Amino acid sequence: MGKQVDILQGTLDMLILKAVSLGPLHGYGILLRIQQVSKDALQIPQGSLYPALYRLEYRGWIAAEWGESENKRKAKYYRLTGAGRRQLKSERQEWKRLAVAIGDVLAAEPEEV
Amino acid sequence: MLAQARSWWRALTGQSRLAGEMASEMDSHMERYAADLMAAGVEPGEARRRARMEFGSTAAAAEECREAVGLRWPDEIARDLRYATRVLRKSPTFTVTAVATLALCIGANTAIFSVVDAVLLRPLPYPQPERLAAVARHWKDKGASGDDTPQTGSIWEAVRDGATYVDCAVFSDGSMGVNFAAGGKVEYVKQQRVSAGFFRVLGIAPLIGREFSADEDRPGGPAVTVLSYALWKRVFLGNPAVAGQTVTLRGEPYTIVGVLPASFQSSTPADLWTPLRPTSTGEGGGYNYAIAGRLRPGATWAQADAQIEAVGAPVLHENREASVRLHLISFQNGLTEDVRQPLLILWAAVGLVLLIGCVNIAGLLLARAAGRSRELATRMALGSGRAALIRQMLAESLLLGLCGGAAGAFLGWLGVKALKFLAQDSLNVWQTVELDWRVLAATGCASIAAGILFGLYPALAASRIEIRAALGEAGRGVAGGCNPWPRRVLVASEVALGVVLLVGAGLLIRTFAHLQGLDPGFDAENVIAAQLSLQDARYATNQRVNQLFDKSLARIRELPGVECAAVTLSLPYERALNTEIRRLDGRHVDAATEYQITNFFYVTPEYFRVLRIPLLRGRVFTSADRSTTAPVVVVSEAFVKMYLGDDQPLGRHLDLGNGDRREIVGVVGDVQQKSGWGDGTPLAPMPDIYVPSTQVEDKFIPLVHTWFSPSWIVRSSGPAQGTIAGMQRALESVDPQLPFAGFHSMDDVRYRALAQERFQAALLGALAGLALLLAAVGIYGLIANSVAERTRELGIRLALGATVPQAMRAVALPGVALALAGVMVGSVLAAFASQLLRHLVWGVRPGDPVTYVAAGLGLIGVAAGASFLPALRVTRLNPAETLRQE
Repeated sequence: MGKQVDILQGTLDMLILKAVSLGPLHGYGILLRIQQVSKDALQIPQGSLYPALYRLEYRGWIAAEWGESENKRKAKYYRLTGAGRRQLKSERQEWKRLAVAIGDVLAAEPEEV
Repeated sequence: MLAQARSWWRALTGQSRLAGEMASEMDSHMERYAADLMAAGVEPGEARRRARMEFGSTAAAAEECREAVGLRWPDEIARDLRYATRVLRKSPTFTVTAVATLALCIGANTAIFSVVDAVLLRPLPYPQPERLAAVARHWKDKGASGDDTPQTGSIWEAVRDGATYVDCAVFSDGSMGVNFAAGGKVEYVKQQRVSAGFFRVLGIAPLIGREFSADEDRPGGPAVTVLSYALWKRVFLGNPAVAGQTVTLRGEPYTIVGVLPASFQSSTPADLWTPLRPTSTGEGGGYNYAIAGRLRPGATWAQADAQIEAVGAPVLHENREASVRLHLISFQNGLTEDVRQPLLILWAAVGLVLLIGCVNIAGLLLARAAGRSRELATRMALGSGRAALIRQMLAESLLLGLCGGAAGAFLGWLGVKALKFLAQDSLNVWQTVELDWRVLAATGCASIAAGILFGLYPALAASRIEIRAALGEAGRGVAGGCNPWPRRVLVASEVALGVVLLVGAGLLIRTFAHLQGLDPGFDAENVIAAQLSLQDARYATNQRVNQLFDKSLARIRELPGVECAAVTLSLPYERALNTEIRRLDGRHVDAATEYQITNFFYVTPEYFRVLRIPLLRGRVFTSADRSTTAPVVVVSEAFVKMYLGDDQPLGRHLDLGNGDRREIVGVVGDVQQKSGWGDGTPLAPMPDIYVPSTQVEDKFIPLVHTWFSPSWIVRSSGPAQGTIAGMQRALESVDPQLPFAGFHSMDDVRYRALAQERFQAALLGALAGLALLLAAVGIYGLIANSVAERTRELGIRLALGATVPQAMRAVALPGVALALAGVMVGSVLAAFASQLLRHLVWGVRPGDPVTYVAAGLGLIGVAAGASFLPALRVTRLNPAETLRQE
């Protein structure tokens, strides 16, 4: 397990959208997928996952439905909606611009200022 | 946006499902995590514990989830309401007082509004009612103005020929009772006369057959009739092949051409309709028609109105009514011309009562807030925001408002039932008066508005407390901890509003008492009157009518206990036929084209004996006054006063508009009558002329009997048990086809004549009583509260040697002083408000000092009682104990 990183405010929504864009998942599954893809670098506080899910659902970016899980138990599955896809796209671009900008700032040499 | 609203609504309405889903979702999350931990080798108990720990508080997460879907706001309201319920339950006296006050006020508002809505606001029950119009004569005179809807035949002809933007029809506004026979059944039914196209204008298609054609609607046209659905069901048992069948109406055959649908509501109570056959002479020479119109498709009100004015100008000018112009008003306004003002005044009055109720409750809330300052200060000290406090207090008043509203809706429902009959009697309300969703919506709005109105100020005031002072205070101030002025102002304004209502009610009650107490001019005791329609082809001549009178009266006189009997065209207290006369000789002579207006009665000789109307000069009629003898007339004292003045009336001659010379042979005393002309007073001794029934012209007989049903009046020697049945039998033996329409005592006739005045006086009186009660409760509450607040101070005063009466005066006098201030302000307000009653007040002036003084003294008396009653508690005060209490 590598070093864990706290999640930036506002990025949790984007991570959830990305996680469910790969296929419908239940809450715990989303948590696992984010940890797995980030190689355990990103730790999501479990208590804040659900308010985020409800907020995204309320905004219409993800949709939920009850289905059966791998072990034949009822579970609530979340999937990305059309609006969610557009939102993910715009958030990703926003994130890239932010990352580039921050990278530029951090790479600045004294003579450039 | 829409999806959000939908999901919010789903969340709000499915609260328990939402909670269940969240719980099961989080549980399964923890179970899975625990299972994964176990798979990694953690011992099961430890795994579950770690899963729960790392997840954190599920309750907090659920709360955040609810907030995330926009449930914070409803959650807080629910919490506020729950708390408000608890608080209100803990102080039942206050809650019951407030809810009862509101229930009474809102109940009264609900009941009155149901009538206002039915009559003035709810659209007429016809298609596209907003395009229905009435033609009115708009007059202006000395700053006053108004609309008159009755029109003459020439006005109708001008409108008919000139109006292209409006589809017009003419009708007779009012129905008359006629004798109806069909299929072996004889009934007394109501008939209304309407022109061709009347139902088309209203937008009503007959259920069966058709309405009248233009050919049927001209003088001499075929006799046809249209039946109401109810009459058709009753008499023809719903037979669909009824068109073409014949019914007998006033002894003449009429062919049925149509039946109206069950849904049709007539503005005039009617069972059947006949063609109006409008003319510009005869009845068309007077204002006996009403004109309805429907804007044609595409036409605007402005266009149609301008056209009607242009069309009317020449006819009105001919009538020398230059200050009058023709215009269009909405059909609903045309139908409700007479009742709008009284209803609006009633509505305003009941609104005022609600306002007083709100002021009252606001006062109670202020007192409570003062008592709760410690609780509020504690909550603020613990971090509650001002907004939250205000919201909490408003939740309490809204809850009160809603409870009061619900109880008020129930009281209103009871009130509507009672009011319905009163209103139908006195206001000619023909729409259904009921507690429908419109009325309930208004009630709901009124309750919420009331809740905010009485709750807002106390809530704002209460939230402004000083935490330290409130918490540090020992609990009981010496002279009352908080500023008493807001409450005092509220109580004084309550009194002021009460004065306005009391004065208004007082004026109307005095008007009613004045009218009721007017000397009737005759002796009503032991007199029975029975009306009978003589709109009958068999009684179209003077000879036939007088034969009927003579024979039936002779039979009636044979009845045991009957002293004398007579027939008259109309009764005192009723509206009489008015006619034009010319004075032919003496000091006052009218030119050939000049006429005077007077009331007209034909009577049989014993009329004056039956009613004991005193003969002042000359003689009354005898059976010797026949159609062949010299034409004679008896006039009333008011007639002499108005038209003959200082002249000697006996022996003078009058022309009754037909060119004859009628000699005045007698002068009789005045009787009270409902005036149809003159200054509009509801009852007055009008100028009357009496003519022997034997001397009425043949051509006049059918005409007067179209408008008036003559009355048989009988004086018995005592309370007559069998007289009514005897009269019925006597008439039957003369003509079995003539039924009496109903029997009344003269008191009944007077009762009906004053129905509207009674209705207004009774309702406004009840409202003023309610206002008085509320003012008393408000003052009582104020003083009781101040006694409670000042218990310690009063104890000290008593201990220092003050007498009990002194202490009582100290607490009670502010109540009386406030009432005095309120009465003074209220009297000024009432002086303005009573101007609104100008047209409803008779026999007293709007500034009547007796009413003002009585209202003021009444309120001050009640205020004094309400102040000293709680002050009596001082007498039970034990100084030693009060001082030890702290």
